[in-house]
Amino acid sequence: MSDLGTPDDLADRPPDPAAGPEAGPEAGPEVGPEVGPEVEAEVAPSGEWRRLDRRMLLVHPVTELIRFLPALAALFIFGRSSGPEDGSRWWHYGALVVVVALGLLRYLTTTYRITPEQVQVRKGFVNRHILSARLDRVRTVDLTSSPIHRILGLAKVVIGTGTASVGREERLQLDSLRAPAARALRAELLHRGHAGPAAPPAATVASADPGAPTLRSADASSGTEGADRVFVRLDPGWVRYAPLTMSGVITAAAALGFLANGINQVGNNLWGSIADRAQSVSVPWPLLAGTGLLAALVLVSVLAILGYLLTNWGLTVSHNPVGHSYHLRRGLLTTRETSIDDDRIRGVELGEPLGLRLAHGARLAVIVTGLNKKDRSSSTLVPPAPAGIVDRVGMDVLDEPGPITIPLVQHGPAARRRRWTRALVPAGILTVVIAVVVLRFHWPAWLFAVAVLALVTVVPLARDRYAGLGHALTNSYLVVRSGSLSRRRDVLERDGIIGWNFSSSFFQRRAGLVSLVATTAGGRGAYAAYDLSEETAATLADTALPGLLDQFRAGQTAGKQVAAPP
Amino acid sequence: MTENVAGQPGSGAGAEVNDGGLTAVPPPAGSGDGPVTRLREPTERVSPRARWLWTIEAVLEAGVAVGISLLVSGPWQWFGFHLWWFVPICVVLLGFVIGMPRWRYRVHRWEVTDTAVYTQRGWFDIERRIAPLSRVQTVDVHRGPISQVFGLSTVTVTTASSAGALKIEGLDAALAARIVDDVTSRTERETSDAT
Repeated sequence: MSDLGTPDDLADRPPDPAAGPEAGPEAGPEVGPEVGPEVEAEVAPSGEWRRLDRRMLLVHPVTELIRFLPALAALFIFGRSSGPEDGSRWWHYGALVVVVALGLLRYLTTTYRITPEQVQVRKGFVNRHILSARLDRVRTVDLTSSPIHRILGLAKVVIGTGTASVGREERLQLDSLRAPAARALRAELLHRGHAGPAAPPAATVASADPGAPTLRSADASSGTEGADRVFVRLDPGWVRYAPLTMSGVITAAAALGFLANGINQVGNNLWGSIADRAQSVSVPWPLLAGTGLLAALVLVSVLAILGYLLTNWGLTVSHNPVGHSYHLRRGLLTTRETSIDDDRIRGVELGEPLGLRLAHGARLAVIVTGLNKKDRSSSTLVPPAPAGIVDRVGMDVLDEPGPITIPLVQHGPAARRRRWTRALVPAGILTVVIAVVVLRFHWPAWLFAVAVLALVTVVPLARDRYAGLGHALTNSYLVVRSGSLSRRRDVLERDGIIGWNFSSSFFQRRAGLVSLVATTAGGRGAYAAYDLSEETAATLADTALPGLLDQFRAGQTAGKQVAAPP
Repeated sequence: MTENVAGQPGSGAGAEVNDGGLTAVPPPAGSGDGPVTRLREPTERVSPRARWLWTIEAVLEAGVAVGISLLVSGPWQWFGFHLWWFVPICVVLLGFVIGMPRWRYRVHRWEVTDTAVYTQRGWFDIERRIAPLSRVQTVDVHRGPISQVFGLSTVTVTTASSAGALKIEGLDAALAARIVDDVTSRTERETSDAT
């Protein structure tokens, strides 16, 4: 497999000009007929180059200041104590001036416009960039407002197009516009993309309420636009699921590490005094360890809950039939609004990691084409929540209940054996290694406990991993499920499958197994059904996408060659 | 809002699984001979010179491995690395240098039809990839420094999926150019964005 994938450098390559979103206006003869004359007439006045909002001049210095705060603080503290005072002050003011100047430069050099076919962003001073994307290639529009943005009534707009590779320089990003203007722009982009009647921007603007991303403003917007259907509203009770996911715990651990680091820097004495006191009290160590563990558990849970609330507060998912798109709003301090075009949704990922599954919870993300990895977070439709709700939303998005409820086909005894060997062999090797180092090199004997623990844990793990393995086909979707600790049921639209990979390791071939991977333009790019029998894999692929595999059927003579070797 | 749906998954791992055949799969549409149950290999082999290319790559990799083990045993003095350990290491590496290119040459195959590209690559791990021509986004030729010595090229066919690129290594350079022309002219007719 070492030489197989270089997806990154492949992804970095600009797409075929004929298919890529950078196609010039003259490259789109097929766009012409789509855009009706009445739409074009309406577009004309907005075809002017527009600027960012002037207030962004304030945003940037403040955000940069906050970002530089640790550095500045260090400058003040250490600069004063160690270096000559005047020198450090100059440094400080110099940094401030640079930050303000950069903001000003960005304001002066960034302009954008919407032409009948394209959205274009001009930016850069030294390196002048003109970024453009065809309107019908706009997949998502993201509005983000940090607390500073919100105070100033601004929003940052990120336009997601189909490019697989989007570096910092190439992002269609407008930081920042007035919130109403940002919403109007979003409406314009999404509705134009469909070349339908332009949405009433007035209504959108009227509902704009940048300061209140809570349920109330969501109600207001659904009220004024009338047709919006609200799918999900965050129930604060769902925070109970936050500590049960790996991501929640990781967020908490990161925050904890950050905190500990800060405490370390502020006062080394604190830890010392705690340790001293602990020693002087003379508590038996198991009790101490237990208490510590419990405290850590509580702390991590609290932090995970805080993280959950920070990102998901006021979450509202609604569907707008006029704009043919889903709208998500969320965020406690920094609010985020995401709009995802219906036509770009290729399915859903229903995540049920072990912790969530045991608590009858789940989470849901949509598979959207053209969202790159950096924007992946905006594809989360439902954060950890009760499984019933997640399932219902999934069915609504997919327009059929089948993929969520259908019983999955298991992958058979060979796949089961493979789950067991893959669990037991590493645990067995670990046990042997531990036995050797303990018996021969006289390492501490408690290491045997580790070996026993490993052997005991992998048994239910292997069992659960096999139980999770499954696949199914419905009228329009391919369903695959795998994993135990991080189990996922991936539902992929059959029309969205753009290729098949059949991969098999040496050991898989010996067991007559193959992993079938459906590739797609959205989400993770690849969704796998692991360890199918060769026959099942071929049949499944052929049934899901009729016609493609027929020509490669075993026993059939080769079809006409395009480029026969000499 | 909170009504539960009967038979929802996530409540238990085993509850929703049936052990039968493909009961959930509807019958395939418009396929006279029934569904495909086995795939044959792609028809075309790559250039025999590819074996030399891979041999040189293998020699370089083996050289790196030997170098590292020399460093570990010599100047770095990690965990008392004895010289006789080199014997099995060298045997394995020799087997790799001699065996891998041949094994790989047997595996690597490709085929371009009117509607699809089909490749097979690898040696220890083998992967077959099939992409419909209608979903192809780019076709590239690449020639590394060693490939140029042997007059070989690598053709990469990408789709809109980050995991879907099809690579044909060790093609004769002239043939590679022809394949690119062919695939490009076929995909030019497609006007959709292939996602």
